[in-house]
This record gives sequence, C-alpha cells and structure tokens, in this order.
Amino acid sequence: MKDVLIFFSVITSFLTCVPVVIGVFTLAALRFYFGACSITVWRCKGCQTRVVHSAEAVVQTVSTTISSTQTEPQDQETEQLLLLLQKRDEPEPPGLRDFLQRVEGLVIRELVKNAKSHAFDGLLVNWEDYSQRVSCLHCLQHPSAQERGLHVTSVSWSCTGSVIACAYGRIDDGDWSTERSCVCTWNLNRRGLHTKQADLVIDVPTAVTALCCHPNQPALIAGGLYSGEVVVWDTSRTQDPILAQTGMSADSHREPVYQVAWVPLQRKGEFGVLSASSGGRVLLWTVDSDQGRFVLNAAYALVRQQVPHSSSARFKACGSNTVGVTSLALSPWDPDTFLVGSEGGLLLRCSFSSQTPAAVPSEGQSVTLRAPAVFSFRPRSGPVHSIHCSPFHRNLFVSAGTDGQVHLHSLLQPNPLVSLRVSDSYVFQVQWSPTRPLVFAAATGQGEVQIFDLGRRSPKAAATIVQGDAGQAATCFDFNCQNPHLLAVGKTDGTVGIWQLSTDLTEQSSRESSQLEQIANQVAE
Amino acid sequence: MAQVEETLKRIEASKGVIGTILVNAEGIPIRTTLDNSTTVQYAELLCQLSMLARTTVRDIDPQNDLTFLRIRSKKHEIMVALENNYLLIVIQNPCE
Repeated sequence: MKDVLIFFSVITSFLTCVPVVIGVFTLAALRFYFGACSITVWRCKGCQTRVVHSAEAVVQTVSTTISSTQTEPQDQETEQLLLLLQKRDEPEPPGLRDFLQRVEGLVIRELVKNAKSHAFDGLLVNWEDYSQRVSCLHCLQHPSAQERGLHVTSVSWSCTGSVIACAYGRIDDGDWSTERSCVCTWNLNRRGLHTKQADLVIDVPTAVTALCCHPNQPALIAGGLYSGEVVVWDTSRTQDPILAQTGMSADSHREPVYQVAWVPLQRKGEFGVLSASSGGRVLLWTVDSDQGRFVLNAAYALVRQQVPHSSSARFKACGSNTVGVTSLALSPWDPDTFLVGSEGGLLLRCSFSSQTPAAVPSEGQSVTLRAPAVFSFRPRSGPVHSIHCSPFHRNLFVSAGTDGQVHLHSLLQPNPLVSLRVSDSYVFQVQWSPTRPLVFAAATGQGEVQIFDLGRRSPKAAATIVQGDAGQAATCFDFNCQNPHLLAVGKTDGTVGIWQLSTDLTEQSSRESSQLEQIANQVAE
Repeated sequence: MAQVEETLKRIEASKGVIGTILVNAEGIPIRTTLDNSTTVQYAELLCQLSMLARTTVRDIDPQNDLTFLRIRSKKHEIMVALENNYLLIVIQNPCE
C-alpha cells in the first residue's frame, strides 16, 4: 500500500512540479529515482502526552506579629533557695546522712501506720459553733436617706472585713437627677455599733451607682456616680474625704458609671480603677493623689460593629451604635481578661492588651480608644446586671440579668453550661461564695437573696434570705471574704441587712473542687 | 549524696505522701519536692513550731526531749522528725 503511494507521489511530483509536502515520501521517492535497488521506507511514529496542567500561585503576608516573653525577677528568698537546691555537687552537709539513717525507719513506720489507721475516721472538728440557721445580725439604716426614699445601690466590705460601705442612689431613675445622696460606712466590730447611725457619712452631689473598696488599703473606697464621674474617697481623712475625682473632662464618662473595680497594675502593689459606663466606655485610671485627680491609663470603647459574632448570635442591626456597659467582671486567674455585660444583653470577653483601635470619632481624649472585645457569648434578651468570675475555677463565671435566670458559663463556649431559674422578676446581682466552690447567691427583684448549691441535685435554692417587706427589691449584696459567714444585703427600702450564714453554706467539703471541675468540663448543648 | 537521695526517695514512695522537705539548722530548706514558695512557707512556720514544741517538752521534764511532731488537719497530716541540726518534714494525705 505504501509503495503504491510512493510511486504515485513520484509521478505527481514530476508531472506537476509541486513539492511534495510529506518529506518522508519525497526522500523515499528520491532514493527510488536514483536507482537504488532497495526501497527504504522510513517510518515515523509520534506521540504526544495529554495536556499538562500547570498553575502559578503567590502568597504575601499581610500582617505580621512579633511577640516575646520575659520571666519576672524572683524575689530574694526563693532565689536563695533555688541556688541552694541547685548546688547538688556541693559536699554534703555534715551529719545529714546519719540524721537520715536514724530517722528514716521511724518516719516510714509512722507513714505506713497512718495510711492504715482508722483512728480519726469520721472525726469532725469545728472551731466555730455549728450554726444550722441563717440569721439576721443587724439591720443598718441611714434615716436621712430613708426619708428621701433612696435605695441602696451598692454595698462593699472593706479588705479587713469589719467595715461595710453602702452607697445610696436610685436604681429606677431614667431621668437625669440632681438629687444629693451619700455613702455610709459602719464598723461592725465596734462595741458601740448604732444600727441607725452610720460611723461615717460622706455627702455626694449626685446618686452613687457603684462602689468598691480597695483590696489592700482599708481606708480607700472607689465610687462611680450617676453623672459619670469616678471618685476615690479616703475615709482616714477627716477634712475632705475626696482623694481623687475625674471631674468633667474630655476623658471622663458622660453616662452613669455602673461598675468600678480596683485592678492590679503592672507594678506590684499598685492598683488602678477600672470604670464602666452605659456610654459604652471602659476606662482604666491611675490615682494621682498629690494633685487629687485621675490620670487616664487606657481607654476602651465598645461599638456594635466591632463586637465579634459567635455562630449562635443573632445580630440585630438596630438602635444606637454604642454598647452600653451595665456590668463588669475581672478574672482573678488571668490579669488580661475582663468580662463585660451590656444593656442590650450582650456578654463579651475582652482583653486589656487588645490593640485594635475603636471605630468611634475621637473626642479629644488623651489616650486612643481601643476595641477590647475578643469573644461573644450567647446574648440575652435584656440588660445583663451582673457577672462574676469563679474564684475556684479559671473558666467559669455566672451572669444574671432581667430574664430571672442565672446562667453559668464557661469562658471557652458561647452557650451557657447551666441555666437556673431564680425568680420571676429581675435578678440584680449574682456572686460566687468565697469559700465554697459550688455555691453562689443571687439578689432578686422580689426582695430575696437566694443561695444555690450546685452540688445538690434539686433546682431549688439551698437557702433564702428574706429581709423586710416582700415588695422591695434586693439590689445588691456582698460576701465578706475575711469572715466568710457574713453577708450584707442592700434593698430598695434603704436598709442594709447583715446576715450570718449557716455553716454548711460556708464550710468547704473535700469533693467540691472536683465536682466543679466536672461541671466546667461539660459541653453545652 | 546518693544515699541521701535514696533515703528520701524511699520516704516519698510511701502511700499518700504529698511532699517532703529537708531543712538545715538555720531554717533553710536543702531538699524539697514541693514548689519554692510553699517550701519556704512550710520551713519557716514549722521551724518555729518545732522549737516551741521542743521547749515545751523540756520545760515539763528537762531530761526529756522532743523526737517527733505530728499535726493532723482536716486536709492532711504533717510529720516533723527533728534533731539538733536538721528537720525532716513530710506531708501525707492519709485517707481516701
């Protein structure tokens, strides 16, 4: 077949003088023409792979971060100890070996006997009288505040545990009010305690909405006012108790300050004041006692657009831009974290070291505003009145608001772990007990303080404190950390009750920490 | 030194032992299995208490002397074996 083609192409090429396209055949034809006896047929096989796909991609880093760590210098004692313990190759101290030889047998015998001993089984020793009941010790009143119908807005025990400071104001005022109010302190350990006459009364030009005693110095009290000012009073001064106040400057709050807290600063032993207001600002102040004023150390602004959204959050884009802060909680485990609850029901975890600038117009503040929100928990339907971090577990905190429930959250999950129905009306404050890991108390709008024990199976309260009439709401309370069986409760009728708790609410049992750990490790549905 | 370490290891291996501290005559801990701050606290407090216990025993009877001190608390038991120069503190959780 191929030879025929070759022959044909030769004839065609000679006749038409058209160059033959197929070079192979031409070559073969030429050879044929020039009288070669053999015909050489060249075969050519070609193949081609499928199309090879190739692609190019480049990557460029948009942002870089650098971080470094540094250990703190250790204090003297532990350094000496470390040096001593590290010198393992030092000649052994004289007589050590003999001492240990003599003592070893005795110690091991005692240890073994002790492990098997039943001598102390079931022995319960109580240094204090075992009290079964919750009883009211005192009912403190300030007559001039009561006459004007002021409510108790905040109570705080001093760091020594013997002085209770109470702030008066109103909780139901929506309007700007110019009513004068006061802060009263009573020392419960004094012999001449008058329940109707305060030891110290500090007059304040507007209603006081927040109060916090200094954790180390018993004379200092920080307060937040309805006008947005933050004040520190020094109760050891007789003349003018005001140590420092913010005044009305560009730096200060414009809306009522709902929470103040003392925050440990970087230098050991120094404390700053953190204040949160419904204008959406959280400000950290340092006290300049010589000049009697505050210096703004850091400022944080919460804006709706910069709030992180968790997957279960429903984002309602309505209302004003700012997130009014109604409650604040510091974490005793992590100095960088703080929790914020807002008027709209948002519950946020924030960080002091956040560097994102806030999306608010600058109003001439001395420090740039930053957006602190890092994580958002499931929002509530009404304002969050109170948040408190557990002193026994790093991840747990409780929050309470107007829905009548107390929610136990873990810092790691957006949904609450446990929700307990406390009352049919608002819950104004919730706080963990300082001695029992599973116990917390909640102050309700019906006038009761309910104390719950998570170790009990029933959803009912372990104890209920009812003081005075049922119509008056219990607005605030505080556990006494130095004397853990005392609890102070403030109500809207202007009275502050000092209650003694029963021993089973204050004494820790051995299994509680592990039970709390179990609750914290649950995964919320 | 190896013998000292071995002896201490045997003591620590007993049931329920949480930690051991070996303190010298000046009240400085020389061996410990607990962290630094706890060790310093225990050493300081127990040295004082042992001296007080020792003087109590000797005041009652000058021929007598303290050999062993045990403090039982709600959470655990502290045992102190003492002599002229050294103090051996062992903390044990005896039950459960």
